Amino acid sequence: MGREEDIRQAILDYGSKGAKSKFYFKDMLAGVKKVIPDAGASEVKNVASKMVAEGVMEYFSTGSSTMYGVKGRGISVEKSGDSGG
Amino acid sequence: MGIPGQEKLWDKEEKGHRTYNDVRIFTDDQLNNYTEEELKNFKNKHDIPMLEELEKGPWPSFVSDLKREALHRRKLGKDNLMIEQDVAEDLLGLMELSYKEGETHWKHGGIVGVLGYGGGVIGRYCDQQQKFPAIAHFHTVRVAQPGGKFYTTDYLRTFCDIAEYRGSGITNLHGSTGDMVILGTFTDQLEPIFFDLTHDLGVDLGGSGSNLRTPSDCIGPARCEFACYDTLDMCYNLTMTYQDELHRPAFPYKFKFKFDGCPNGCVASIARSDMAFIGTWKDDIRINQDAVQEYVANKIPRDGGGMSGKDWGKFDIQAEVIDLCPTKCMNWDGKKLTINNAECNRCMHCINTMPEALRIGKDTGVSILLGAKAPILEGAQMSVLTIPFAYAKNPYDNIKNGVISKIFDWWIEEGKNRERLGELIQRMGLKTLIEVLGIPAMPQMVKEPRSNPYVFFKEEEVPGGWTRDINDYRSRHPR
Repeated sequence: MGREEDIRQAILDYGSKGAKSKFYFKDMLAGVKKVIPDAGASEVKNVASKMVAEGVMEYFSTGSSTMYGVKGRGISVEKSGDSGG
Repeated sequence: MGIPGQEKLWDKEEKGHRTYNDVRIFTDDQLNNYTEEELKNFKNKHDIPMLEELEKGPWPSFVSDLKREALHRRKLGKDNLMIEQDVAEDLLGLMELSYKEGETHWKHGGIVGVLGYGGGVIGRYCDQQQKFPAIAHFHTVRVAQPGGKFYTTDYLRTFCDIAEYRGSGITNLHGSTGDMVILGTFTDQLEPIFFDLTHDLGVDLGGSGSNLRTPSDCIGPARCEFACYDTLDMCYNLTMTYQDELHRPAFPYKFKFKFDGCPNGCVASIARSDMAFIGTWKDDIRINQDAVQEYVANKIPRDGGGMSGKDWGKFDIQAEVIDLCPTKCMNWDGKKLTINNAECNRCMHCINTMPEALRIGKDTGVSILLGAKAPILEGAQMSVLTIPFAYAKNPYDNIKNGVISKIFDWWIEEGKNRERLGELIQRMGLKTLIEVLGIPAMPQMVKEPRSNPYVFFKEEEVPGGWTRDINDYRSRHPR
């Protein structure tokens, strides 16, 4: 696999298997670094941004801070209005 | 705007020709669709006795404004609006309930936004959706304000039409960070609003969440003689350079740039931004001695005429300028005004008082201050003067490469979740900050000698290091 695919897989693994369905960028970066120690912040961000654009990942925002999540896991767009999001 | 025949893309070639009439949604009759008599007889669909109490005071009331909007939308009719017409009525009803119970009924946050953007939209939902269905969703859309907040009336009218047609019609001009804010819309209207804003107004969403927030600037050289650099250009340039940081979050928390053209600080960047750019000068304040004499002789009104309208007595340069100089660096001998410029701390008082006699220097640039914030985790903090002077000329590479990228890298690496830059500086020490930036420590960085001696020398910085020959030492310092 290429490096981008590796990072993509690491993000997906972190987002799908972790305890939390929504997580800060920093925690996701740390998760990726466990698998790919030399992964840089901007590198991971660029891959995550692509995954958001493709609809694999999504942002969760409180207005003051933002978290990432794998689409379909935890609160979704449809449910966020009813679930205390 | 989704209206047949009006879907044409906005572009730079055409923007000079686009007018409100090209893209407007409502007719003049629709915009002025109720009489004051009708307003007097307006009855909100929910009883709001407590809110109506607020209308009785001496000040303009938001309750009165919301009633106007409620009546306006009721008369526009649901066929002319993309979300429920009675948004303002339900909003008043919900607020009355919250006042009664002393509890909020808003839920915070969620997954709303436009595709690919991690900021600009803040999700709000009501937890009383059965009772107030028109505000079941009440999302906030932040719209980037133009530099210096210069608008055309066409622009504002178009903005208001979009807010009315696709939102609640309630706006906030401007939010604390400076954005124009559309208050209250439904999830299914977010993409259409974004389309209209980008295609009809040529404007982008602002920042929210863990992003770079919409950079904000003063009116700068467009209208102000004190501007030491082009705040409008720098704000625009940095906004465009850091688009990715504005829209795709990777920061630990929010980050704000603000641009003040001079130390008067009209956008209060020193207190409100993680990175404040404040115009300053390196050389001397320019003095026109003839004009000083005219101020003293009361021929030119002090404060640019700002103290007219009341008799404040004869202008007393000694009491009103010289004695008020915080560093006592000015002198007036009755004939000539002199300034010890090395001691000037840019308080601007003398220049503001006698603008025709005193002018900012000619060798101008910016001071960069870091770390201001409002109180959330730690208390409120003012920023720290870190770079006393840098030239600020397009394309600003010295600042982008020398300061901003270093700060971003450091903060992303070391900052904890929800930790602002100011808190990181506090936690790791100013010494670490200046090492990150590669700048020398200055005596001025020590606020109170011996109370915050955060600058410690490293062994390699000290001649001879930590080791010494005790015999050599004792030869000069006997016991």
